[in-house]
Amino acid sequence: MAISLTSGRPITLGVELPDLPVAPENGPDPVLGPWPSYNPGQFYDEMMGPDGAPRPAAEILWHHFAELGPEALAERQRAADREMRAIGVTFTVYEGTTGVDRPWPFDIIPRVVPADEWHVIESGLVQRLNALNLFIDDVYHDQRSVSSGVVPSELVAGSPNFRRECVGVDPPGGIWAHICGSDLIRGGDGTVYVLEDNLRVPSGVSYLLENRMVAKHVFPEMFRHYSIEPVDPYVGRLADLLASVSPAPGDPTIVVLTPGVYNSAYFEHAFLAQQLGVELVEGSDLVVLDDDCVYARTIDGLERVDVIYRRIDDLYLDPEVFRPDSLLGVPGLIRAWRSGRVALVNAPGAGIADDKKVYSHVPDIIRFFLGEEPILATVPTLRCSDPESLEFVRANIGRMVVKPANESGGYGVLVGPQATADQLAHASQQIEDDPKRWVAQPVIPLSTAPTLCAGEVAPRHVDLRPFTLLGPERAYVTHGGLTRVARREGSLVVNSSQGGGSKDTWVVDTSGPAPSRGPAPVAPPSRGHAGEPIV
Amino acid sequence: MLLARMAEAVYWAGRHLERAEGTARIVQVHTDTHVDLPVGEDVGWEPLLAIVGVHSEFAERYSAAAEAGDAAAAEEDVVEFLLHGEGNASSIMSAVSAGRENLRTARPVVPREAWEACNNLWLACSDHMDEVKSRQGRVQWLRRVIAGCQRINGILLGTMSRDEAMSFLSIGQNLERADLTTRVLDVRSESLHSQHGDDPYDVVHWMAVLRSLAAYQPFRRAMPARPQGGATLRFLLQDDRFPRAVSACLTETRSHLKELARSEAALEACATASMVVASAAVPRLALDGLEEFLDEVQVALDAIHLRIDETYFRPSFVDWHAQSEAS
Repeated sequence: MAISLTSGRPITLGVELPDLPVAPENGPDPVLGPWPSYNPGQFYDEMMGPDGAPRPAAEILWHHFAELGPEALAERQRAADREMRAIGVTFTVYEGTTGVDRPWPFDIIPRVVPADEWHVIESGLVQRLNALNLFIDDVYHDQRSVSSGVVPSELVAGSPNFRRECVGVDPPGGIWAHICGSDLIRGGDGTVYVLEDNLRVPSGVSYLLENRMVAKHVFPEMFRHYSIEPVDPYVGRLADLLASVSPAPGDPTIVVLTPGVYNSAYFEHAFLAQQLGVELVEGSDLVVLDDDCVYARTIDGLERVDVIYRRIDDLYLDPEVFRPDSLLGVPGLIRAWRSGRVALVNAPGAGIADDKKVYSHVPDIIRFFLGEEPILATVPTLRCSDPESLEFVRANIGRMVVKPANESGGYGVLVGPQATADQLAHASQQIEDDPKRWVAQPVIPLSTAPTLCAGEVAPRHVDLRPFTLLGPERAYVTHGGLTRVARREGSLVVNSSQGGGSKDTWVVDTSGPAPSRGPAPVAPPSRGHAGEPIV
Repeated sequence: MLLARMAEAVYWAGRHLERAEGTARIVQVHTDTHVDLPVGEDVGWEPLLAIVGVHSEFAERYSAAAEAGDAAAAEEDVVEFLLHGEGNASSIMSAVSAGRENLRTARPVVPREAWEACNNLWLACSDHMDEVKSRQGRVQWLRRVIAGCQRINGILLGTMSRDEAMSFLSIGQNLERADLTTRVLDVRSESLHSQHGDDPYDVVHWMAVLRSLAAYQPFRRAMPARPQGGATLRFLLQDDRFPRAVSACLTETRSHLKELARSEAALEACATASMVVASAAVPRLALDGLEEFLDEVQVALDAIHLRIDETYFRPSFVDWHAQSEAS
């Protein structure tokens, strides 16, 4: 429902503010299913269609859960929790200044995405990342996008994510953002939107991979009945990508650069280094010498490093150039990178393109650089720096989502319909005090997925974070992604730093016949063995 | 390529986990032996504190019970302190935690299963901590520690490449083993040779020494003698085939050091330690001078550690680079 705008407020703002559906009672009558009282109401549910029947791709799963029954489901959830704890999958949350390791919250009911839909999303993500990279390269070179009016110049020059140190640098293949973790959401009518492009140090892929491993142990039978696209190839593709940007010929030395054990994503840094078979370094393990090369302090002395998959924010990378007080980085690293003697993935300065203010221009960026129509939808976004938008946002703050333009991780996000009057007043004041820090969007009623909550299966809001890799030679998108779920009823905030949980995401191909994954033929007993077939 | 920081982490992981297992064995065997000896003949629980080297830390916290001379309280206090006592950085729980923290740092260079096994051990030890108050629960808990450490060792043996990281881990493990063996001998012998061999329980005590190092059966198979002072000492110091004998630990250490570049200084320290051990005049030592001798061995072991630390964990890299450029 579009709201009527008072006193001829400019319709050109182009923002419709739908009401957030609130009454799940008047939803469809559920058909005989696994959870008779399950009712997503007016929200788009990822598993259950509007008629109360399962969506086609989720049908097998639906019936499987009906057979399984609630007790077996609960037992499998406990098994999954035990496994997550045993394999040590954790994330760190900060309570005041102390970091506490929490077991990774994993909901075992998978979120199913039909393969044909996924393949469209995949091409949309690659298209977007291609365009964003052309944009970043343009920003640090000719700025044609600015002179042509595609992006207002103040968004570039005035952005805290613009790094003048990057001007004129030519990273291999012209690629700056090699790894992107996008946030996708689905609205009430089923439309998939890109909500954020995370181009700096996006995290979550380790959890995606671990979720799948645990899911295989929890539902081994499902992987026989379903054709579920594998997620494992990601690490190999990442390794290929990192090698492909090396400045040195031959086998490159690759490292993962972490801020250290106290970082909230340290688990992931260690996981990726382990999976890639490369060293996990901290800033103090590296040194840049007068030859502008980067070296690691190894037991055999200093060894040259060619590619750094860095998981440290730009501003902490190099105290010579950025924050001089940073102890996390490596003095001289930017000098080494600028001289082309080391590759940084993602390149510094890539964050210019995932600014929430640039976000609203991405469709135009795609058209300008690629000459194509955007495949994926973008949520209409108002920049409060614009006086008309500011007035509109302040008048409608109770029906909008307001975000700081330069934060990530869900920090500082205000969901209007769920805020108290005090919170709204406070936010309104903050926006008025410093309008350019803020953007606002209509509330997208996030889709729901069945989730185990205190023994009951109930609808909870979800988003999806796939990871896209872009190298000079090829692009790759994870099959599915990390589904994040808001565990509190009605909550739209899915970030794990804000108490969100996660799900495995199954990209399921229902078009062809199910692959033959029946029991393996029994091999003849080998000599000396009692005939246990080796599969 | 192996980062200096990673090498240090795996080395300490090896040491801490070995210490956890070793301490668990010692407490386990002491409990068994204590049960075998008639009241009045037993040696109490204090020797355990001496082996681990935490006498003064213990006294600071538990002086009351010790002064009251309450034997049951003493057992409970000593065991609690050794297993997970606050203020005891050498407790089994501290060793398991430190081993886990180091393996966590070193995750990229150790097999995933080894880290998981270690994490599991740590979780199980924490989850079942309440049970150690009873002797029976304690037995289970200690078994869990020993089995958990063995499992980690098995995984490393079966799945880890024999690379530099493995060398550092093994060196840490072997140096800690050798050190523990000397500590056990040190304390046990002190309480034994004061009785000049005519103690009817002498054999029981020496059997306990062997058992706490998992050495009883290997000793029986290798040595014709009864488990008495001289034969036991010779076996635990100089045997080259039993993995917890000091000499065998040094042989292992040497073979791993040889795999590493620039290990000359550490190898030299290792050779010195081997010479000290080989030169022990064993039959006489059983009667006199053992304590001084074992001190000498410990100093020699520590020297190996110091050479490794200087060479690999904290050298001045930039100078080093300049040197290699110049040469």
